[in-house]
Parts: sequence; structure tokens; C-alpha cells
Amino acid sequence: MSCSTPIDAATLADYWLAVLPQSEEEMVDLHLLECDRCGNRLREVIALAQAVRRLASEGSLRMIVSDAFLHRAAADGLRVRQYAPAPGGAVHCTVTAEDDILIGRLAADLTGAKRVDLCICDEHGIQQLRLPDIPIHSGTSSVIYQESITFAKAAPDTIMILRLVTFDETGAERLLGEYTFNHARSLPGPGQLYEPHPE
Amino acid sequence: MEAIQLDDVDLVHRFGSGPDREAEAELFRRMAPRIRLYGLRHLRNEHAAEDLVQQVLIVTLEALRSGRLREPGKLASFVLGTCRLTVLDLRRGAQRTQRLLGQFGKDLLPQAPCYTPQLDHEKLTHCLQNLKERERTVIVMSFYDEQTGADLAGLLGVSEANVRVIRHRALHRLRECMGVAA
Repeated sequence: MSCSTPIDAATLADYWLAVLPQSEEEMVDLHLLECDRCGNRLREVIALAQAVRRLASEGSLRMIVSDAFLHRAAADGLRVRQYAPAPGGAVHCTVTAEDDILIGRLAADLTGAKRVDLCICDEHGIQQLRLPDIPIHSGTSSVIYQESITFAKAAPDTIMILRLVTFDETGAERLLGEYTFNHARSLPGPGQLYEPHPE
Repeated sequence: MEAIQLDDVDLVHRFGSGPDREAEAELFRRMAPRIRLYGLRHLRNEHAAEDLVQQVLIVTLEALRSGRLREPGKLASFVLGTCRLTVLDLRRGAQRTQRLLGQFGKDLLPQAPCYTPQLDHEKLTHCLQNLKERERTVIVMSFYDEQTGADLAGLLGVSEANVRVIRHRALHRLRECMGVAA
């Protein structure tokens, strides 16, 4: 099974996503009817796409998402739980067994911001994780952060502080907003804090 | 039945010398997975893709048996043309499916085996989390919602061409992390 003009995975991904120009798509259509090697590569791309889709619908990825993503998730029957504390504010939050996706909507003035980092901090404000250079559009007024629902479902009562920061011309950090999430566990399980009963 | 080691031209020639069940089986083994892939891409539905396989193979077999495929080197082009027309029919919900299946159903063969990639989901989660933020967002938005380059360009505040570059780079890094050749 040889191929003198193999099509790379990136082009095959574009083909699968139907974003190739028509003439190129027709060439790929024909090539795939003659070449099993490239066909198998496309099958790998499709398997990857389907696995990513499954992972996304499980809500277990920490990432920035869009409103379109949330609309699609809701249309697919997924239950989206969302909290939107004001900048500098706090919110009580939880997650239930029925929830599929957990969202923190972080309002911020992103005007002029070229790079924004999202810092995930503990209750003392100490950074535990940083998502550098998150996707933002300077025209929007919020960042939609998806927390891993797998993590949230297993977490005990805890406080998580999120910070959006940007950088000025000198490279110094500037706080865009800080958001406190007071998470109360509502699911039974090993992550629940032990509370001794009085004798 | 073992696969025949013939190229498409020689395979087509075998139909010219009378009924040849072995050649027909080889045509099915060879073309069914390819047609199915075309169907998945253009119909986005596994059952519809299977219907496409059956219908296109019936038309192709008929053409080969009756010698209507004049240029043996154009087998793939003939199949592609038939795929396109059949996809249009399937999209229109044509009733032809049942008629063809009734007429030629006895000639149908079981689903041809094809390569099915297996992915380690834990590893994929790890690899996705290791992507840069923009790359992860583009990959997930592209594959989950099949959002267009324009949608993603709006979200990221970059051009559509840039979205394509980010997606290509992310895919390359993902495949590399998963241990698949780029």
C-alpha cells in the first residue's frame, strides 16, 4: 500500500471539517477513492475528532470556551451550570451529579488587552495553575472559563480564586479582575470532608 | 477469500471476460471502505454511509458487468461520480434505495472490514491539556461544534488564516503526543 502523493493529516482535518476550497476537496475525494493509506490517515483524524468531541461533552477539560460552544452543548442535551461573579466579587457555588459542564463567566474590560492569562489560585490567593495567553477578543466583555466537572464533582468544600491578568508595555502584570468561588460539595463520595458526629 | 493482488485497471479488465465472483468480491473489499469514508464525510451519518456503499457498489457492479466503464483507468472517477449523484439522492430522501435493494439485494455482501484506529482516552486528555490555550480551544471548538474558521476567528480575534495555522499546529502536536506519525 504505497502513495506517491500522500495527503497530510492537517489537510485531511480541513477536509473532514469541510473547510477546503472546492477544487482541493474534489482532489481529496478522488484521491481517497484510490488510496487506502491516506484513507487510513483520515480515519485516524476522524477517530481523534470523535474522541475530542466525547471529551468535550464530558466537560472534563479546563479551557476557555465560547457562547456558541455552550449553545451547542445545551442543544445536545448537556446540562450547563454557570456562575458569573462580578469582578472583585464572590459567589457560592456547587455542582450536582446531573451537571455536565461547569462554567465561570468572568466579566472584565478586555479593551486593548493583547495577552491575558488566567490564574487559578487557592483560598489564600496563591497561584496553583496558570493558563497563559488565553483566547480572548478585545471586543468582548467576558471570558468563559470551563472548569473540569470531574475535578469539581470530586472536590471537597473549597475556595477557588480566579484572576485575569494582562501586561502593560513594560511587561508588568496588571489585574483585570478577581473572582472568588466558594465551592460547597453537594455530592457524597471520598472527597467529602469528614465531619465527626457528637457522641 | 483472499485479496487479489491487482491494480484497478486489471481488476476492471477481469469483468470483461464474463462473470467473475472473485473479482466482484475484490471490488467490494477494495471500494466499500473508501466509499464509506466518502459517505461519512459528505453525509455525516454512519447508516447513510452504509446505504451509500450498497447503492454505489450496485451501480458500479452493474456498469462493470455490462462493460459500460470504457476506460478501466477511470474506476475511481466513475465511483466518485456515482457517489456524488447518490449523495444528492440520499439527501433528497429518494425512494430509489428500496427499489435498488429489492432488485439487487441478493448481490449484497456483508460490511467490508476496514482499519479502525484505537485511541487511549486518558492519554488524549493529557495531550489536550498540554496544548497551548488557543490551540486547545481551536481543536475542541472545531471538532466538537465544527465551528467555522470565521466563528473561531471572531472568538480569538485573529484572521481565519491564522485559525487554520493554529489548528494545523495543534493537530500536529496532538498526533505527536499520541504517538501517531504526522
